[in-house]
Amino acid sequence: MSVGSTLKRKARGERPYFFEDPSVDRVIAMVMGLAGEVAVLHDRLDTLERLVEQQGGVKRAAIDAYKPSASVAAERAAWREGFLSEVLRIVESEVEALATGDTAKYDTAIKSVETDAPAPKRKPVARKKK
Amino acid sequence: MNARVDIPAQVEHRALPPVTHDEYARQEFVRTFKEHLVKHVHGGNRAVYEAKVKPAFQRKHKRAPKTRFEVRDEMVREPYYQMFSALLRTSQEMMWSSCQIPVARDLEALNKTIKQAQKKKKALGSLRLNPELPIPKYHTAVDIHCQPGGYHTEFMPEDASAGMVYDRAVHVYAMGQMGPFNNDMGASIVMWLKKHYPDFSPKRILDLGCSVGHSTVPYAEAFPNAEVHAIDVAAPMLRYAHARAEDLGVAVHYSQQNAEGTDFADGSFDLIVSHILLHETSQRGINNIVKECHRLLAKGGMMIHAETPPYAGMDPFDAFLLDWDTRNNNEPFWSRSHELDLKALSQQGGFDPALEFEDLIPSAFQVAQATRSHKFQGGDFGGGGLWFIYGNRK
Repeated sequence: MSVGSTLKRKARGERPYFFEDPSVDRVIAMVMGLAGEVAVLHDRLDTLERLVEQQGGVKRAAIDAYKPSASVAAERAAWREGFLSEVLRIVESEVEALATGDTAKYDTAIKSVETDAPAPKRKPVARKKK
Repeated sequence: MNARVDIPAQVEHRALPPVTHDEYARQEFVRTFKEHLVKHVHGGNRAVYEAKVKPAFQRKHKRAPKTRFEVRDEMVREPYYQMFSALLRTSQEMMWSSCQIPVARDLEALNKTIKQAQKKKKALGSLRLNPELPIPKYHTAVDIHCQPGGYHTEFMPEDASAGMVYDRAVHVYAMGQMGPFNNDMGASIVMWLKKHYPDFSPKRILDLGCSVGHSTVPYAEAFPNAEVHAIDVAAPMLRYAHARAEDLGVAVHYSQQNAEGTDFADGSFDLIVSHILLHETSQRGINNIVKECHRLLAKGGMMIHAETPPYAGMDPFDAFLLDWDTRNNNEPFWSRSHELDLKALSQQGGFDPALEFEDLIPSAFQVAQATRSHKFQGGDFGGGGLWFIYGNRK
């Protein structure tokens, strides 16, 4: 899940934080990100159970005995990397704001659409090669 | 509120990016998360306000809050509202993220599919791009409704990724309540026109700020003899819109233009429409757009703009909550666009204010749903079952 190498991930604009301590907002975003990924796993497990029920197949002992090959291990490591990047999106987005100079106060955006003042500065989107 | 019934899945077409098992599950989670907020969290704000915030305000000021600003200044300190807001903002960010993942997975291949879909053997509509068109500041100052990169950013040459992300995100955002084609606003205006103006038969129709053409297509279907044009400032949206319309078998002529000033001749159109466009602009932008509508309409023609209802006459608490998007979902012109004197707006644009109209119109999708299930329970975005329209005859 290297979305950031293809698309922009943070929406331009100062992100609002609602609690006195913005850390609370961050934790909420992480918890919900985690909840989302747990829901994805739930659906996946549910699919597996339904398919097993329909088509028969897997014994628990076989699951217990399964040893991932090097390539499966690498696939899973890549999955975990993507998983963490989803759960920790909120932390990454703050860094992205700094990296792209997207740090103007939001009020200036509201004012700027009504005046001739230039829009808050932004750096051009870097086009990374695959 | 009961669980919603019979919400159909989004209709698949060639331009819509395919999703894997887990990508689909992730989008479904966001949809459920949003439904959960609407059903179980949103209403708590009113409860906190009535039980705690309003009585405290009354004790201090010897009166109830009169404006949404007075409500806001108290509510922002309430932990419940803070939690609600943190969750709602997070749901919006997760929505975009969940719709970006399948697009980023193989963007080059997806863009090739878009190009193929645009090149039908028997082309129905057309696409005209203008790379020199300046993107207005109300698109570049912040990314509107938090779509990363906004509508206009191209991440590779001839990119349509903004449209790919947006088409799916609208379905998730509206929790399916815009219908399987995400077309409820256009379809609702069509239904309203057929009811109130059964003899109105526009020869040329223009949709302003069309994005991926969700609302454009119903006009082409309802008026098969009309020539339908649609414009947007964002090329990635238009590439996608063109591919989508061709694949759905609908003739629409898309061009990259700013609704404030187009290259169409005076009196070119009998019907000009827009759907949640006005609140994405600015005071100057909206003034110019109405002027341009007046120039482009033939005599006897009509412009119709769909929006959410204005704040006038609204309870200050409801207005406060409806205004949430202005600061918290990158919608800088939302507030002001909901407080406009629409008759004056028409008049400065050259229209006769006596022919100005405003109406709350029923949602075509919800009417159809109610007919089907007899159990439909409204939701949220569009869940009021009504759209607000503002317009003018010429």
